[in-house]
Amino acid sequence: MSASVSQGLASPLSVRPTGWVLAIFVALYAWLVTIAPIDSVQGLIQKILYVHVPCAFAAYLGFVVTAVSGGLYLWKSDLRFDRVAAAGAEVGVLFCSLMITSGPIWAKGTWGHWWVWDARLTITLMLWFVFLAYLLLRSFTEGSERAARFSAVYGIVGALLIPLNYYAIELFGNAAMHPDNLERDSLGTGMGWPFLVSILTASAAFFHLLVLRIDLAKRRSSLEQFAEDL
Amino acid sequence: MSAPAIRARGLEKRFGRAVALRRIDLEIAPGTRLAVLGPNGAGKSTLLRLVAGLARPSAGSLEIAGVVAGKPAARAQIGLIAHATFLYPQLTARENLLFAGRLHGVADPGARADALLEESDLTHVAHRAAGAFSRGMAQRLAIARGLVHDPSVVLLDEPFTGLDRSAAQKLSERLAGLHAAPRTQIVVTHDLGRVAQLADRALLLVAGRIARELRGEELETPALERAWAEVTEGPL
Amino acid sequence: MNVLLAVLWKDLVSEWRSRDRLIAMLVFSLLVVLVFHFALPGGATPRNAQHAPGLLWIAFVFSALLGLGRAFQIELENDALAILALAPADRGWVFLGKALANLVILSLVQAVVASVFAIVFELPILAVAAPLAGVVLLGSLGLCAVGTFFSAMSVRTRFSEMMLPVLVIPPLVPVLSAAVSATAELLRGGEVTFSSVQLLVVADLIYWIVGFVLFEYVLDE
Repeated sequence: MSASVSQGLASPLSVRPTGWVLAIFVALYAWLVTIAPIDSVQGLIQKILYVHVPCAFAAYLGFVVTAVSGGLYLWKSDLRFDRVAAAGAEVGVLFCSLMITSGPIWAKGTWGHWWVWDARLTITLMLWFVFLAYLLLRSFTEGSERAARFSAVYGIVGALLIPLNYYAIELFGNAAMHPDNLERDSLGTGMGWPFLVSILTASAAFFHLLVLRIDLAKRRSSLEQFAEDL
Repeated sequence: MSAPAIRARGLEKRFGRAVALRRIDLEIAPGTRLAVLGPNGAGKSTLLRLVAGLARPSAGSLEIAGVVAGKPAARAQIGLIAHATFLYPQLTARENLLFAGRLHGVADPGARADALLEESDLTHVAHRAAGAFSRGMAQRLAIARGLVHDPSVVLLDEPFTGLDRSAAQKLSERLAGLHAAPRTQIVVTHDLGRVAQLADRALLLVAGRIARELRGEELETPALERAWAEVTEGPL
Repeated sequence: MNVLLAVLWKDLVSEWRSRDRLIAMLVFSLLVVLVFHFALPGGATPRNAQHAPGLLWIAFVFSALLGLGRAFQIELENDALAILALAPADRGWVFLGKALANLVILSLVQAVVASVFAIVFELPILAVAAPLAGVVLLGSLGLCAVGTFFSAMSVRTRFSEMMLPVLVIPPLVPVLSAAVSATAELLRGGEVTFSSVQLLVVADLIYWIVGFVLFEYVLDE
């Protein structure tokens, strides 16, 4: 029986390939961020953005993974998709939390305010709430199938909110502390590569955590199966 | 009427890891009265909910009169009567039937409601709130509600629960009377003594499988109890 | 379509018989107004009048949440969710019927609450009654769509009274922000800018369509 429990799962001590990829990126990232030029206006504190922006990227990645896997679950009724969706939301909430804590630290140093009700900030905060609600919904719904179905629906609605809210910004005009996009010379010279690598590193971290989280869910369900067979 | 009233092929239902029904193959001709028996947790209610289209199969196929179960056209064939009455206490008896009739798109819900009230001997309380009904009256109204759209398949989920002896006897007679119209009936019950009266075929479900199929004389109470004892206590 | 009308008729008739939901929502929202009075002393000062649009919508949302929580509890108590799910039509129609019934009940409450608000904060609502009603209706359409949809979910979770606001409020942010700003524009005596109405209409459309399409998965066992 123990053979079937560990079947298809790496042994706890071995490092998954995603872990090696992550390790390489982290080393490269640390080096590039260290040698990147100090921003002429903001000073050293600008380097927080090498944490903030990639976390934002990974957070949105998580929410997209959740919505897409949720849709696939509703379509195929395969609980494997549900495990991916749940993992995406958890890892997404983690990065989203990092993003909304690193942002104010940078903002206080640069602008003198911890929090500004800037449109993009508000939306991100709301998305954070959406996916916290998603996780609460999962844990308060009885029956794995119903929990999977309800949360898939909620995840899809949550993802629909992203374009709706950007549409709202568009309509109301954006008095933003966030640059509209990255191309418009908002990056100083020599900052492009560190930013690119930081985003890749966050993605690698995202996928590594995602894989670990899915693994955990798999182990948990085989353990339940094992307990049931006993 | 070439398609069977109900046809299941390799039907399975899992709830997460737990298997409620495994590989059920079943074909029921129109007009059959089928009893589904078995100990608690055998999957009886799950089978009924799948047929009603309230839950989806995890694997296999299930068709009601040739239509995939759960599709609106399949749901239109189904009448569901259970120990829960599904009645709205604030609405009168007639309004409950009107609502059910409109929900199912019955052509003249008012006339249909009046006819059913007459048939169920409830005309004198037609305008009283269903919440004030006795258990027996509520159950009669619930049966009328389940039949409002003249379904070809009637599902009965433990209809005797909570009824006293005489009410149960009356219900049993009423159910036997329903068969005058050619309907397929599936009744889930624990009451082995009523099976012979209510059904001409029975399935004994144990742990999600059809352990035994019974017909004719085998439905008489002593034979049924013997079969029950064999499948539930025997080495399986 | 007959499913929609049947559900709407049934909900309104049973609500009319007991009126329990309506009365509870009214009493609760008037209590909310009372709390505002203590939170913002001074009565009809210009500053308080400035806050009025936001407060008005807070009262609307609170009473809506109270009523919406009951909307599917009623079905669950009678075990009648199965009957709705058995209706031989797309289950989206059940959603539309329930949501419209909620909208009617909520609108009655809103009419009373808005009048009381106008008296307490000395707001000139009579002058802008028609456009204000329109804005409130547009906001409430979104509120009822989102609320009805998630109420069907939350009643079948543990701690359903807590889950409903947690599920409902985040998706309502765009609707509420547009509704509040449009209400504020009206009460300031100005015209409603097209952008708030546009956002309300777009959000309402999205939520009603999504609710219709996805309700199938909510109503399943």
